[in-house]
Amino acid sequence: MANTESLENVVLELRRGVIVLAALSQLGTEQYGYSLLKQLADLGLDVDQGTLYPLLRRLEAQGLLESVWKLEEARPRRYYVISAEGKKLLPKLKKEWAGIVSLMGRMLA
Amino acid sequence: MKLIDRYVTEVGRHLPLIKGRKDIENELRSTLEDMLEDRAQKAGRASDEAMEIELLKEYGAPQKVAETYNPNPYLIGPRVFPFFVFILKIVFGAVTLGLTIATAIQIMSQSPMSTMELFSMIGKSILNIISACIAAFGNIALVFALIERFAPAADFKMDDKKEWDPASLLKEPEPEDVKIWEPILAIVFTFIAISILNFNRHLIGIYYLDGSEWKVVPLLSEAFFRWLPLMNIGWIAEILLNGMLLRTGRWQVSTRLFSVGIKIFQIAIIALLLSGPSILAITSESLMAGGIADADSAKTLSTLALQGIRIVLGLAIFGTVVDIIKSLYKLVTQRSSGNM
Repeated sequence: MANTESLENVVLELRRGVIVLAALSQLGTEQYGYSLLKQLADLGLDVDQGTLYPLLRRLEAQGLLESVWKLEEARPRRYYVISAEGKKLLPKLKKEWAGIVSLMGRMLA
Repeated sequence: MKLIDRYVTEVGRHLPLIKGRKDIENELRSTLEDMLEDRAQKAGRASDEAMEIELLKEYGAPQKVAETYNPNPYLIGPRVFPFFVFILKIVFGAVTLGLTIATAIQIMSQSPMSTMELFSMIGKSILNIISACIAAFGNIALVFALIERFAPAADFKMDDKKEWDPASLLKEPEPEDVKIWEPILAIVFTFIAISILNFNRHLIGIYYLDGSEWKVVPLLSEAFFRWLPLMNIGWIAEILLNGMLLRTGRWQVSTRLFSVGIKIFQIAIIALLLSGPSILAITSESLMAGGIADADSAKTLSTLALQGIRIVLGLAIFGTVVDIIKSLYKLVTQRSSGNM
């Protein structure tokens, strides 16, 4: 029981670390929060909405995302897209990620 | 959709006081409506209340959802926590030492006393130390909670990301640099002074044991407390000044001028205290009534106290004038070196 809980916590921590990169990588085109959530889930990354929405706001406050409200199907939706600042950062993050994958690959081999 | 509206309103009530709260509510409503529509499509029927209840249950309690938007969920965050502990140690040490010395003086001045009286006095002293530490903890926590809320992270960094150079140990400190603990300590002690003098003035006095009962002769007279509103203004200005120093981390021309202004104001208050009736409530009558001293000793003690307090106030004016001269000198040298 304790082991399962520990495993869940560690997995959660690992996933939490990659959400920023995952979200930035998928926001090359405009998406609203729920569509991004579904897209990430379709790609295999289940993210809790309580994690994703505050994260999107934080990334916007940091200037990495831009957002705009649009009225679609009589429903207002907030669309997010990567900003110029975010576009500059993304390749660096990708490189960093590749480095981590390669390092951990060697370590766990 | 009634339930979703109520849920969103409930989340809104619990949202922290941040910019864009209405925006968060609108986005949440739009997301929940999308999710509900999705579910209805999957179920092949129109959405109903049961579906809404199921969705909201999965989304989570409004308080928890609102809490995820809190950018600063700490009362005292990791940024200032080490300094909080540092100041606590200093204040707890000072309070314990001060009250222990006061108890020791009382024990010596009240001897001979029975073992029972001695233990009673020590016991009361320990209780006093504990309650004073708890009060100090409250005051310090309040000051740090305010710093956490109102000193933006960008302006108030603890230098933890700055590369540390061992050679800095050899370097003389810049005269304009403010050591981070100085304003914090000043704010804490000013808060303690404000809280004691305004709300716990009965604590300031000479304590003595009358039989098995503790009694107290008030130390300060109404002539002192008459000027308390002015003193409060001076202390609040001190807190503001130290808050500014915390934010900037350096003495600037504006803060030096502000500091000189506060000191001139303090001199005016001390002069008022000095020119009026005695600020000490200790008289030969009160000492005799308390049985602290006999008639002759009481007269001598009260005269000494009266003269003593005048000397202390005079020295305070002298010390403040010296401080003003030092501040003005630093101001002139700071300006001439172009360091605005």
